[in-house]
Amino acid sequence: MISERLKKIICDELYLDSATIEINDETQAPEVPGWDSLNHANIIVAIEKNFGVRFKGLEVLKCNNVGALQRLIDSKVSK
Amino acid sequence: MIDFSVLKGETLWERWQYFAQTAPEKEAIIHWCAANEPFRWTYASLLETANKFSHYLRNIGVKKGDVCAIIIRHNPNFYPLYLGIVGIGALPSVLAYPNPRLHPEKFRQGLTGMAERSGLDWIFTETALEEMILPFVEDKNTTVNELFFPLEWNLDKALNTITIQELSEIRAEIKSDEPMLLQHSSGTTGIQKPVVLSHDAILNHVKNYGKSIQISNDDKVVSWLPLYHDMGLIAAFHVPLACGIPSIQIDPFEWVLAPILMFMAASEEKATLGWLPNFAYNLMADKLSDEEMEDISLASFRMMINCSEPVRHESHKKFLDRFKNFGFEEDALGAMYAMAETTLTVTQTEANKRAIELSVDREQLSNGKVEVSNNLSKQKICVSSGKLIDGCQVNIVDDFRNVVDKSGVGEIAVKSVSMFSGYRNYPEKTAEVLDENGWYYTGDIGFLYNNELFVIGRKKDIIIVAGNNIYPEDIEDVISKVENVIPGRVIAFGEDDIELGTEQVSIVAETSLVSDDELTKLRVSILRAGMSINVNIHTVYLVPPRWLIKSSSGKPSRKANRNRIIKKNDEQVWSKK
Repeated sequence: MISERLKKIICDELYLDSATIEINDETQAPEVPGWDSLNHANIIVAIEKNFGVRFKGLEVLKCNNVGALQRLIDSKVSK
Repeated sequence: MIDFSVLKGETLWERWQYFAQTAPEKEAIIHWCAANEPFRWTYASLLETANKFSHYLRNIGVKKGDVCAIIIRHNPNFYPLYLGIVGIGALPSVLAYPNPRLHPEKFRQGLTGMAERSGLDWIFTETALEEMILPFVEDKNTTVNELFFPLEWNLDKALNTITIQELSEIRAEIKSDEPMLLQHSSGTTGIQKPVVLSHDAILNHVKNYGKSIQISNDDKVVSWLPLYHDMGLIAAFHVPLACGIPSIQIDPFEWVLAPILMFMAASEEKATLGWLPNFAYNLMADKLSDEEMEDISLASFRMMINCSEPVRHESHKKFLDRFKNFGFEEDALGAMYAMAETTLTVTQTEANKRAIELSVDREQLSNGKVEVSNNLSKQKICVSSGKLIDGCQVNIVDDFRNVVDKSGVGEIAVKSVSMFSGYRNYPEKTAEVLDENGWYYTGDIGFLYNNELFVIGRKKDIIIVAGNNIYPEDIEDVISKVENVIPGRVIAFGEDDIELGTEQVSIVAETSLVSDDELTKLRVSILRAGMSINVNIHTVYLVPPRWLIKSSSGKPSRKANRNRIIKKNDEQVWSKK
């Protein structure tokens, strides 16, 4: 399940109210207002900074929804 | 350098056939995928499969002159299908694969608008899009005969000699001045302007452009550019194929998520040529980490050509600073000025030389004069898009289409041997931009200095986001229908994003809502409305009723309201950014 922390980073980056926006494991980027290809890079950088991790582009490419992104973060944080 | 005088082929098919016969094992297309090994087409294998597609297309009823829309995401069989269509004298027209955020109804509306002018006869797509596209094909007013799924066709069987002979006879009837392809000159939104280009236009362009970049048999192109865009289709697909050199094709959807893909492919395959819109220079310089760049060498690049957006000095500098330690040479930073109406290129910077930069007085420039300046606080650094390629002419003209004084700023008018013959089924639009002497008025603003063309902006209100042209009226129409937005009281405009090296879409909308909660919700509704037409709205400004200044036509003025909003000192303006 995605963490509140991840949801808040995404919402903050897109200037969305996290209380009213639905983001869950199955959510894909195009479903979130403002999450387009240009903002995608900024969201990834914000996640990297907040969690103190680094992603490779090809790792992110394999994440087809927010749940997969959360699992990628978890795998990096636990190392 | 390639000697174009010895290349055979009056039509594109004949040219491809020439390479299939003279260099059958040379690679034509290297279809790159993030997850799998690349699929490699040689000229011989590509033409063999294209022949099978030609045969199949004929059997289902496709005829010479038919317009065949292709809506297929990155797939190795896209290329022989495209060639197979050309091989029977029909016109391929590559359409954008729908982004998941695009509402199906909006996608169909886009197709309807396109079919109205382009007269689409057939659609070739994937089974995954059947549900989305079928209602459009079944509409009683549609021009489309039928929808097909060519990726499902069985192409295992070899063609017999009779079939090959029949195809040869069809090809003998295709003349070089006949239409060869149809492309759309605008990007993502609704006002599509179909441009038809002949074999002559493309082959002339390949020769003139190839000479300008000194294209050689050792060159190899790498590209993630979408093939519905002129830069991707002509520069990165037709030019290499008609010169007999390989082109590495990357999925644009994958590249945007993993920009390293372009450099991985370039490094492994030793690519020498690439074309990029300006924003990509910033994106790659900002986002690619040293860890990702490990083992990557960019030393093979001799030209990385900036096009489709105004070329920015800051972007070139950022790119060079970031990648020079990975072998990228300063002199590989090229630029060009291009458009679908002239097949592609009008001007190109000198081969293997960094694009020239010119420091001019910013204030004088806004007054229409070019004055070289070394005053740091007043200067603007403009990047040249190069000199005219053979077969092209440029004039800088004023509002009355009179040529301005030397070093004056004005609209760029162009003439080319590879000029389109007018927008298809759109005579009123053609008459607006193409005069009786063959000059095409581009709507771009620029100046000439020492025979170099500098492009500095747009005369019209078109917003260019990451190389895609977006028409503000399309966005305004959609936002006007959002609940709590006062209908017709909306403007859309482009705001410069220096960090990203491109423009972003901003909206100003009037509303009677006042509380922060209500305005926050309205902002999300506006963002969602933009998503439904595949436009990402970056900034929403909400203003009270009667805030927007009207122009003489009674509509809200984009220019006046944009100037008012960017002063950022009006307490009546609500924005989250």
